[in-house]
Order: sequence, then C-alpha cells, then structure tokens
Amino acid sequence: MNISGCRLRNAFLYICIVFFISACSSDESSLHRARLVTLGTLVDISTWGVDHDTAEQAITDVESVLNDIHHTWHAWQPSMLSQINKHLAAGQPAKVAPDNMKLIRQASHLAAASDQLFNPAIGNLIGLWGFHHDDRPQGPPPEPSAINSLLADAPSMNDLIISGTSLKSTNPAVQLDFGGFAKGYAVDKAITLLHSRGITNAIVNAGGDLRAIGTHGDRPWRIGIRHPRESGIIASVETAGDESVFTSGNYERFFDYQDIRYHHIIDPRTGYPAKDTLSVTVIHGDAATADAAATALFVAGPKLWPEIAAQMGITQVMLIDDKLTVYMTPAMVKRVHFEIDPQPTVVISNPS
Amino acid sequence: MTRADYIVVIFALIMLPYLYMTYWQHSAQGETVQILAGTDKKIEIPLNADQHLTIEGPLGSSIIEIHAGKARFVESPCRGKQCIHSGWLQHTGDFAACLPNHISVAVLGNNSLYDAINF
Repeated sequence: MNISGCRLRNAFLYICIVFFISACSSDESSLHRARLVTLGTLVDISTWGVDHDTAEQAITDVESVLNDIHHTWHAWQPSMLSQINKHLAAGQPAKVAPDNMKLIRQASHLAAASDQLFNPAIGNLIGLWGFHHDDRPQGPPPEPSAINSLLADAPSMNDLIISGTSLKSTNPAVQLDFGGFAKGYAVDKAITLLHSRGITNAIVNAGGDLRAIGTHGDRPWRIGIRHPRESGIIASVETAGDESVFTSGNYERFFDYQDIRYHHIIDPRTGYPAKDTLSVTVIHGDAATADAAATALFVAGPKLWPEIAAQMGITQVMLIDDKLTVYMTPAMVKRVHFEIDPQPTVVISNPS
Repeated sequence: MTRADYIVVIFALIMLPYLYMTYWQHSAQGETVQILAGTDKKIEIPLNADQHLTIEGPLGSSIIEIHAGKARFVESPCRGKQCIHSGWLQHTGDFAACLPNHISVAVLGNNSLYDAINF
C-alpha cells in the first residue's frame, strides 16, 4: 500500500474512533430513573448498572419506606410525631419505638453539636410563621409579642429526657419539628435499602437534597448546585464513593409581605428568619448529618459558620451570603467547579 | 497536503460544532417535556410541538403550555401557585411541580450535563 493509501486508511480509522467514543459516551441503557411524590416533595431515584426489574422493585420498596417516614414524622398532620407533641405539651411521657427514638437521639446530638442553631424543638415557632401548611403562607408575619413569648420559653432538645422507650420534656413549650432533618434521615434509609438489594450505583434526590453512591458507569455522578438568586446552576460537584450533598436556601419556602421576603429557616435565637445568608451547601457522608448541618450553618451565617462546622465535624461547606460572596472550606474549594462567568468572590476559611 | 489530510481537516471542522454543543455548552437546550401526573401517568412531548395541555390531578385541572421550545404551568388549582411562579422551563433538568395536584413538568434532553440538581 502506498503512503497516500495509508493516510486514507488512517483518516478512516480516526473517524471510526471518534464515532465509537461518541457512541460509548451516550450509552444510557444502564440508567434507570424514577420520580416519586412523597416526603411532601418530589423524590428522584437514579440507578446505574442494574436490570430494570431489580431497579423497579427496589424503588417500589423505597417508596414504601419514604411514605412510612413521611406519615410517622409529619409535623402538622396527624402522625406519630403529633401524638408525641401532644404528650410533651401536657408534660406527660410519650412511648416511642426504639427505631424512632434513634432519630430523636441523633437529632439531639446534632442540635447539641450546633449550639442549638439546628433546633428541632421550635415547632411552635415554625407554626407561628405559617410554615405548618402545604401551601405557601400569605402573611402577615407574626406579631413581635407572639414571637417573644415563644422565645422566652426557650425550647431546646436539651429539655428532652429519654429513658428506654419513654420520652418526656421538662419544658412544655417543646414541640418537635424535624423538617430540617427527616429528609436526610429518609434519604439515608433509602440508600441503605438500595444497598441491601445489591444496588451500588445510585442517587436518591429528595426535593433537591441527595445522597449518591458509586458512579454513573465509567464517570462520577455530576451534581449541579442551583444559583440562590437566579435561575440556573452556580456550581457543580462530582461525587466520590458515597456522599450526601445538601443545600439549605432562602428560596425554598417563603412568602413576600409588603415587599419583604420571609423564608422558612427560623433563627432560634431571634425567632425571625435567619439573615445574611442565601444558601449553604454541605457535602458529608450521611445525609441526616448533612441536612442538620446545612440548616445550622445557614443560621450561623457568614461569621459563625466555621466554628459550628468544626463542632459538627463538617469539612466541606459552601456558604453564599446576601452579597453573593462565596465562603468555602479548603476541602470544598477542591470539589466545586463554578459554572458562572464572572467567577464569584471566594473567601476560604478553615472550620475552627 | 494530501487528499487524506483534506478529509481529516474537513471532518474535524464538521465535528467541531457538534462536539461543542454536546460537551461544552453549559445550558443544554431541552428536547422533550415530561409531564407526570400522580405516580402512574407519564406523558412525553417534543418541546417544539406548541400546545396547551389540560392535566387532571386530585385538586382539579392544571394547564401546561408548550411554546417555542419552552414549557410552563399557566393554570393550577393549588393555593400557593408556586408551579406557575416557576415560569418557563427550557433547559435540560429544569422542572416545576404542583405538589398538591401531584403534577410535575420536567425538561429532558439527550445531553444532560448533570445527573441531579441540588437546591
């Protein structure tokens, strides 16, 4: 074969290789997706590398588990939690199954680590602001006297006394609301179930908060993090192994009244929506801890977050304040790829 | 340059826009809209098929408009109307939902940049 013939053959081979790579990269046949309406939100589940029937059966079982958690821990509809809250308000002990008590113990531990900035005992305050409804509150905001009255009672998880399966409170103002925690707890349960079915590559995304295990074939799972003030994505991360990515943002649940926005993340110290922060993203192993930490660090704000992150054992944090300045831990800097131009101002702080 | 060199150069020039659109464009334009009602009813429609769709849910009818490569809720029986406030959806991964009426709208595409959106 002459030189020209060789080059023609090489050109043909090159074209074939390009098409082969392109075909491989778009192979989505091993991906299975499902969307569930549960936990008061949309739950997306993606699996990779398992057959359709295995994935479908596992997802059906996950839905059952999530529905059970939703109905057990619902804060404003009749549920096991509402029964517990009635007992606590009456100063009576409530009987709680051991598995459910685990959630309360875990939440108490995280509340203590956060200096009670994550405080699931302020259910009355959340309700006062109108966030104990499926629909968006219409306003007006509560009267200051009503907020101050609830703050004066200072309900916290420290008021709980756990003895075996008995739970009681030394403070009748304690009303439990695990809105900043139960979603993470549920995502952990879902991942445990998928693992038990031999599914090692999956994402469980509950209303924007997720835990990812394994990979999407020969590449990591890619997660886009929503811009807190505009539509679209501000940054992306690729998960590694088994990681939860949780964000608390002031855009999730809110109402506007007389041109002022009131969001749902209430600062237990002031009784008002936490100020200065637009969103906090946390990457951590288990979803329950990531969920609680995202709430606590949002409340902590741009000045206090490194201290609270250290106390909670969180090393990967991205906080965006109301001036769109981005605060990150060094470990988070290595993970985040910004998807906006120009790049934002970034302040790097160690958890301390 | 030989004839083979020309073929390679021409092929590379042809592939360049395709590769850019496939791998580097950040806001991948969606191709279809997926509407879920409850857990069992699923509709997928091309985003270039302009129409109004009336979808029944437990609270009543939600109306979804598809126009010029975009989709949005225009009417829904829920109280908060968050689905309507979500506005137009056009990029792969965009979605809005009327949770009280158990209806969601998501834009799908072949080249989704992300496996999940965190918010």
